[in-house]
Amino acid sequence: MPRYGIAIDTTKCIGCFACRVACQNHNELPPSQAFNWIVEREKGSFPSFSKEFIPAQCNHCEKAPCQRVCPTGAIYTSKEGVVLVHRNRCVGCKYCIEACPYKARVLNHHEGIVTKCWLCIDMVREGGKPACVTTCPNQVRIFGDLDDPDSEISQFIAKNRAQPPRADLNTKPKIFYKRS
Amino acid sequence: MKKQGLTRRKFLVGSSVGGAALLAAPYLDFKSWASKEKAAGDVKVTPTLCDACGNWCAINVYTKGGRIWKAEGNPIAGNNRGRMCAKGHGFLHEVYNPDRIRSPLKRVGPNKFEKISWEQAYKEIGEKMLAIKEKHGAQSIFWLSHPQGNVKLTQRFLTALGSPNQFSHASTCFLPRNIGWWLTIGKSKPDHDFENSRFILMIGRNPAAGLNLGQLRTMVKGRDGGAKIVVVDPRYSEAAALADQWIRIRPGTDLALMLAVAHVMIKEGIYQKDFVEHYTEGFAEFADEMKKFTPEWAEKKTTVPKEIIVQLAREMALAAPRAVIHRGYHGAMGTQYKNSLQLVRSVACVNGLMGNMNQLGGLFYAPKPKLGKLDKSVHPSPPKVKGPMVDGSTDPDRYPLTPRGIGLTHAIPELALRGTLKAGFVYHSNPLRTCPNPKRVIEGYKKLELLVGFDYVLSETATLCDYILPESFYLERDDVVYTHHSVKTKQVAIRQPVVQPLYDTKPLAQILQELAPHLGIGEYFKFTLEEWNRAGLAPLGVTLEQLKKEGVIDLGDEWKPGGPVFKTYSGKLEFVSSVMKDFDLPAIPTWEEPLVSPDPKDPHSFRLIHGKQAHHTHTRTCNQPYLMQITSINDWGRLWIHPHRAKTLGIRNGDCLTITSAVGKGKVRARVTEGVHPDCVFLPSAYGVFSRNLKFAKTEGQGGFGYGISYNDFLPTYFEPILGHTMTGEIVVKVEKTFA
Amino acid sequence: MPESAWGWLIITYLFLAGAGAGAFIAAVACDLLAPDWSKALARAGSLAAGPLVAVGTVCLVLDLEAGLWQPWRQIYLLRNPTSMITWGVLVLSVFIPVAFLYAAALNKITFVGRYLAKYTWYLEIVGAPLAAGTAVYTGILIAVVNGVPFWNTPLMPVLFFASAISTGLAVAMIGAAVIDINTIRTLSNFALGHVIFLSVEGVVLMLLIFMSLTRTAEAATSAQMLISGVLSPYFWVLVVILGIVLPFVLSIFEYYEYGEMPKILVVGADLLVLVGGMSLRALIVFSGSPPQIFA
Ligand SMILES: Nc1nc2c(c(=O)[nH]1)N[C@H]1C(S)=C(S)[C@@H](COP(=O)(O)OP(=O)(O)OC[C@H]3O[C@@H](n4cnc5c(=O)[nH]c(N)nc54)[C@H](O)[C@@H]3O)O[C@H]1N2
Ligand SMILES: Nc1nc2c(c(=O)[nH]1)N[C@H]1C(S)=C(S)[C@@H](COP(=O)(O)OP(=O)(O)OC[C@H]3O[C@@H](n4cnc5c(=O)[nH]c(N)nc54)[C@H](O)[C@@H]3O)O[C@H]1N2
Ligand code: SF4
Ligand code: SF4
Ligand code: SF4
Ligand code: SF4
Ligand code: SF4
Ligand SMILES: [Mo]
Repeated sequence: MPRYGIAIDTTKCIGCFACRVACQNHNELPPSQAFNWIVEREKGSFPSFSKEFIPAQCNHCEKAPCQRVCPTGAIYTSKEGVVLVHRNRCVGCKYCIEACPYKARVLNHHEGIVTKCWLCIDMVREGGKPACVTTCPNQVRIFGDLDDPDSEISQFIAKNRAQPPRADLNTKPKIFYKRS
Repeated sequence: MKKQGLTRRKFLVGSSVGGAALLAAPYLDFKSWASKEKAAGDVKVTPTLCDACGNWCAINVYTKGGRIWKAEGNPIAGNNRGRMCAKGHGFLHEVYNPDRIRSPLKRVGPNKFEKISWEQAYKEIGEKMLAIKEKHGAQSIFWLSHPQGNVKLTQRFLTALGSPNQFSHASTCFLPRNIGWWLTIGKSKPDHDFENSRFILMIGRNPAAGLNLGQLRTMVKGRDGGAKIVVVDPRYSEAAALADQWIRIRPGTDLALMLAVAHVMIKEGIYQKDFVEHYTEGFAEFADEMKKFTPEWAEKKTTVPKEIIVQLAREMALAAPRAVIHRGYHGAMGTQYKNSLQLVRSVACVNGLMGNMNQLGGLFYAPKPKLGKLDKSVHPSPPKVKGPMVDGSTDPDRYPLTPRGIGLTHAIPELALRGTLKAGFVYHSNPLRTCPNPKRVIEGYKKLELLVGFDYVLSETATLCDYILPESFYLERDDVVYTHHSVKTKQVAIRQPVVQPLYDTKPLAQILQELAPHLGIGEYFKFTLEEWNRAGLAPLGVTLEQLKKEGVIDLGDEWKPGGPVFKTYSGKLEFVSSVMKDFDLPAIPTWEEPLVSPDPKDPHSFRLIHGKQAHHTHTRTCNQPYLMQITSINDWGRLWIHPHRAKTLGIRNGDCLTITSAVGKGKVRARVTEGVHPDCVFLPSAYGVFSRNLKFAKTEGQGGFGYGISYNDFLPTYFEPILGHTMTGEIVVKVEKTFA
Repeated sequence: MPESAWGWLIITYLFLAGAGAGAFIAAVACDLLAPDWSKALARAGSLAAGPLVAVGTVCLVLDLEAGLWQPWRQIYLLRNPTSMITWGVLVLSVFIPVAFLYAAALNKITFVGRYLAKYTWYLEIVGAPLAAGTAVYTGILIAVVNGVPFWNTPLMPVLFFASAISTGLAVAMIGAAVIDINTIRTLSNFALGHVIFLSVEGVVLMLLIFMSLTRTAEAATSAQMLISGVLSPYFWVLVVILGIVLPFVLSIFEYYEYGEMPKILVVGADLLVLVGGMSLRALIVFSGSPPQIFA
């Protein structure tokens, strides 16, 4: 079984938000809800001023705090290591929103449940790639199997020593960042 | 994402007052809870062309149960190579925008419209238009369209009417860029082989927000291949985020930088000598002129340290011929400054010094397929119309270098006020919002006796039209075959309906065909769009059926590096422009001051510059909730201002400002950032919608009517002396802190 | 992303569950340790406990979304033993009935009460730990949340427990005053309870703030929000002064004056404790801020 993840090269991100809307469309989200977002960081001061756009989404943590606190067991990890939400088991208690250190979870009032990035597992299982990956003009996101050492993503992570966000929180994320 | 602390404070205050109300909150959501489930049903994919901006990317659109669902880029299309931007995704929802026009409309009062039948519309437009033609001559009629595939049809229509006045958006966009290159190398839009470049220089060009997805992708490929990318911009643009170096320049002075770079290359003899020897004209005079433009001199003009200028020249020369300066678009090299034409000329010349024409990693001409034409024996083309346009384009005494069929959009209102223009058609364009000095533009357009608009919503311009003929939206219509995806290889592409028209709308070709007889030009429009397209495809050995199945077809014939060819009169790259000489215009690139400059002694005085954001197209996406959400969560409607300047004016991030110019006044909030040159403030160009009929985004949160301001509100009506363009960067504003 | 998905419903729940549990404990303490001082206090406490916790639990349910519109989903609430809510639901569903039975027994309400009267003692032995569990659990619920470093400390349950006891005691004392105003005199003995638990609460709160200031950047942000930031006015006035200091001082007088203090002040002190308890929970929820992910 593959163990899917995404590697993100922020040095290529231009903050164009194509990934946001592509995701909203594929997942039929309203304008105000999104499964991914961009953090804009300005650094230093002229002449060494620079700016970084950092795309973010659910990290599909191997030790997912959201999953641990979910009373209904609506949150589970798929065989591919993707953290998913059981739509008709969630009661909407929002405990998971508080528990997620990355604030990746989205309250969906229409269904009264809390959802989030699901790694487009529907397309992935049909051999495709997530919407945010394929639409990106600069291929900032690399999607693939973390367990296959020859996969583009594993190579990329190894080559660039890409790091998960806040490894110290020891949630074991499956999203990795190259930031310089 | 930013203002959470605030909302929480509000929450606490509010709730300590009305805790009870908040306790009841969950119930208030019952409506939304009960609201409709996700779309369900069978999925269908249709290849077509996006029309959310001028790039017309090739996309595959998915419908679910007959409703537009999502889209993906077409992997082979030269312009987007499988990619799509936020606008492209967001604009899909516009099909269902409640503000859409649902049938032909007749204006019966200020902002009062009445539904009418197509027949009635054609009849009344025909009668009035012919009467005007009788009384004032065909010269008094114009056609304005945002030039895209369909321009061939509109041209034919106007020519048949006997008028030369085909206008485009060019004078507000790219005019000097096209002319400057044409004068120097004989062609106006050379492409760049970024993939193979070792050095890429961007001057006032930001493909990372003024998107061109294909260009962006090749730039990044070039970077992956080790190319150094340098961005020259008064502000830290999105392209700068991709670059190795950001050169922060004083706006309006790029010409000085280029001249100094040429100076260094020539002085140090590091230009491509044998290229210059064999393929260029007038080097000696050029070299002589460049002598005075030392880096020291340029530093004073540009605020760019001379060391950086010298280093730039040396690094480019070292990488040449696999080094390239971007051809430019709207910023700096477009319709920005009085000296923009000279800037473009100098950029073309420095590319010449690097001998990169038709070289690996340099410039090249994209191979374009030659489309076939209708059989003239069956479909005679209308007689050519002689003489210059009313705006003076091609007129030796006025704008000799401004070609026919491009025109000076912003001259239309002036000509209307003078009574020269009496009637016109505005297709897929919104001059009231996209031309300088709206007050004046409105005055002018109001003066017209007949204005016919083609739009899908009641834009600022449509709201002023006497008749509006609703063209079917891009996801509902067929258009003419399109060749602009040809970058390195020849490609044809086509737009076709993804869903059937939701309302009583029609494709342009059909409207023209049905309208023509009422204007007495029926004989020139006896063909259907399908016949037109089949005729176009015939020589390419591609059937319409194949094309509609694929969306884009690649015809190969890939560009290969080789000996340079120049389409100039001399057949060479012209350091000294023979054409400009003929009209005794400054034929050798030389320094020219911008028209206006901020007062260095007044702490309130700034140059106002503007630019695109990747998630908006001009101002036309400002009513799209998915796209406006991006603006609001990031608070990206704000005006960029440098911390030092802000400090002296007591301005803090988020403060409300009033900005004033000779022609306009407006309020906007501040974004204090090191990412902008202290001499200027930067305003995103996507906002300032003032049509009351664009209100959807507001009901969905933020945007549409009344959101933000536009640089055009502050820009006087200028005509640059040589080409007559708008000079959209020549704005000096007074910036003051205000309250609320 | 919203920083606090929880609002007033959860805050009210945290408060009522705590106060109810506290009232139960106060009643038991009174009945076992000092029956001759004031029957009224034990009765009031026992009568308040069940309803308070029950209403609190209703708030918890009202805060659900799908679980509210499709109530049958609530059976899932017991499915995850690693979730504090699951445990909470368990504890509550046992405690609430026990609390009601205890009220019945102690006050000889209906035949059930008269029958159970002789088993009061058992109910107290079973109920007290459950009550303590409920009080502590409200603290643990938020203490285990890694999403909010400020909450993420063992001090949280201690703080919530202390506050639960004082608010519970306050409820019981007000109730007693209502039942029989003349017990005010003897009630003053219980002011000692306030003195003790308010001081515990104060000390733990101080520890929490100081440790947060040094623990992590995010915890510090929250702490600052309380002591000097946007929430500081509410914190100092509602929680510290009105909620702890003032009732603490009043309770000391009350204790030494043996009920010579005006009745209004006695009841006033208790009301202040309640205001403080509610505000404390609200401010802790609202000040919780997420970890800073991207430096
Ligand atoms: N404020 C402001 N002004 C600008 C610019 C800016 O960014 N901001 N940019 C400048 C530049 S670079 C350019 S190129 C020009 C462009 O200026 P314009 O040529 O005016 O182009 P747009 O502003 O895109 O206006 C497009 C119009 O077409 C309508 N439209 C959209 N889809 C359809 C369709 O399917 N059919 C028809 N018939 N109409 C449709 C839109 O509603 C809108 O009214 O503006 C220049 N002026
Ligand atoms: N997302 C999006 N993409 C688009 C469009 C759109 O509306 N939205 N429109 C399309 C069209 S029609 C056009 S014309 C292009 C425009 O494409 P661009 O010309 O690249 O875009 P602009 O943002 O107008 O200008 C580019 C940069 O010029 C900078 N600039 C301003 N003044 C100066 C100066 O004096 N010197 C220098 N060096 N830089 C300066 C601005 O800060 C800005 O970053 O984009 C095309 N693509
Ligand atoms: S699409 Fe790519 S470049 Fe654009 S914001 Fe998303 S990650 Fe960044
Ligand atoms: S990022 Fe948040 S939502 Fe995603 S798995 Fe980790 S804890 Fe859960
Ligand atoms: S909101 Fe849904 S998913 Fe989140 S914890 Fe509660 S039940 Fe689980
Ligand atoms: S992986 Fe799919 S669901 Fe997740 S952010 Fe990307 S597009 Fe959205
Ligand atoms: S750049 Fe974006 S909006 Fe423009 S055509 Fe391409 S996808 Fe559509
Ligand atoms: Mo443009």
